[in-house]
Amino acid sequence: MTLFISILINGCVLGSVYALVAMGLNTQYGVARILNIAHGEFIILAAFITLDLVTKNHTAPFVGFAVAIPVVFVISFALHRTLYKRVKDISANDGAFEGNAILAAFGIYFIVQNLMQTHWGSATAAYQFMPYSVKIGPADISAGNLVVLLIAVLICIAYNLFLSQTRLGKAIRAAAQDPAAAAMLGVRINTIMALCFAIGGVLAACAGVLISMKEPFTSISGLGYTTIAIIIVVLGGLGSVKGAILGGFILGYVGFAVSVYDSGFMLSVFYLIVLVLLIVRPKGLMGR
Amino acid sequence: MSDLNEILLEEEAAADCGCDEKSTFVPDADAVIVGTNLTKRFGGMTAVDCVDFELREGEILGLIGPNGAGKSTLFNLVSGFLPIDVGTITFNGVKISGLNPDRICHLGLGRTFQAAKNFPDMNIFDNIRIGALFGIKGKSYEQADIETEEIIKFVGLEKYLKMAVPDLPLAIQKQLEVARALATKPTVIMLDELMAGLNPAEVDEAMALVRKIRSGGITVLMIEHVMKAIMAICDRIIVLHHGRLIAEGTPDEIANNPEVIEIYLGGEA
Repeated sequence: MTLFISILINGCVLGSVYALVAMGLNTQYGVARILNIAHGEFIILAAFITLDLVTKNHTAPFVGFAVAIPVVFVISFALHRTLYKRVKDISANDGAFEGNAILAAFGIYFIVQNLMQTHWGSATAAYQFMPYSVKIGPADISAGNLVVLLIAVLICIAYNLFLSQTRLGKAIRAAAQDPAAAAMLGVRINTIMALCFAIGGVLAACAGVLISMKEPFTSISGLGYTTIAIIIVVLGGLGSVKGAILGGFILGYVGFAVSVYDSGFMLSVFYLIVLVLLIVRPKGLMGR
Repeated sequence: MSDLNEILLEEEAAADCGCDEKSTFVPDADAVIVGTNLTKRFGGMTAVDCVDFELREGEILGLIGPNGAGKSTLFNLVSGFLPIDVGTITFNGVKISGLNPDRICHLGLGRTFQAAKNFPDMNIFDNIRIGALFGIKGKSYEQADIETEEIIKFVGLEKYLKMAVPDLPLAIQKQLEVARALATKPTVIMLDELMAGLNPAEVDEAMALVRKIRSGGITVLMIEHVMKAIMAICDRIIVLHHGRLIAEGTPDEIANNPEVIEIYLGGEA
């Protein structure tokens, strides 16, 4: 019973962070058609920014949101307007652009990772956030993890409201479903693409701040999160935000349950799930 | 000296596009869209070849030609989806060649696509409202909702509102696309094979819709294969063949043009 409750709640915590990570990648790939291999690097960048704020400036980790979000937004928007726009201009067609964009993203991945290694070193980084536990039934659950869960769920809800209720959200949904038709209806498609890439970065930054609160990380942890995000996007269905949330929670539960036995098996089990899914339902759980 | 240079450059451009001579096309005074010397190549294939054409205010202009004649490519050039290799397009006197599709939309040009490109995950109302919200900048939600309701009534989509967009019959899918383009408040609408695949009753409905759109003060340029419709509703017709404009005139003139008869009937006429 204790183990069950622990998996239920901690799986939920892990799942909520995974959902954020996957929603970010899904926005970048589903709309801007860039499979951003460097997604995880911006997660870790936000985590390091938060670490510095907590350890050097002695602020609360929440301040990390206020600093990391604008930093990653500006970098991502600028990358899209310069690098990816150029890649698009020289690509013969949309298919060629997707391939070239992955190569460009690999370049960004190496650059950001090396800069982080130079600045913050390779050692494992962590700080203490609410280091006490709360009793839920018979299980002891970390208070910090519960705060992480709460914030992640709030961000998921806010993002969905943004997509369904705001003018910009409607433009993004139209562009995700058919960019050519959206452009012909007056949606400023180039700006929307750049904004989607930047918003994907913002979701990565949010996930990074939360990850720094709940677990240790290093300057090379990013690719692990990128891999998980790609798995979730395939699992949930390309371009589907609800699919990303559902997929995130599924991997969160499965991941935590597996890690109770041996965390080394986590990725293997994730790949097994995707393998089965690709055979049974290749479009993903919520894909069209 | 600079005049001479300009003439030389123009001649060079004309030679570059394979045209026999520099375009001497003089558009009509009431032309809203004017294309001059339009050329588009895909690798070695010239899809649109030195085409001069005009769309006059208030008319229904038919664009016909066999498959692969370059009709849809011409649409894509005018609406900004493909860059032009040679030539210029103006819309109400403003040069639009080189602009993005969203800018061209904001200037008042709407279009539909050969294969309907409705948003599958939105309902009919939201599909149309995207056009109402973004077609003209800075419109309020309330205003967009009112206009969406008006267009649903105008096109006659009321009884389909509850259906999911992918489940709509083909004729209704096409009407929805027209409705969405109308929601952007265009002064010119370009319809790409609105009647293809429709049954005779649906073709009649579509013809009535096109006439109604023109009565509302919108100029129409339409690609169509359904000859009965083209002959009945167009004021003028232009004919493309292998990317070249081979004929222009009233439906009667086109129906009796030997060259047009030849390309449609395969050289036996």
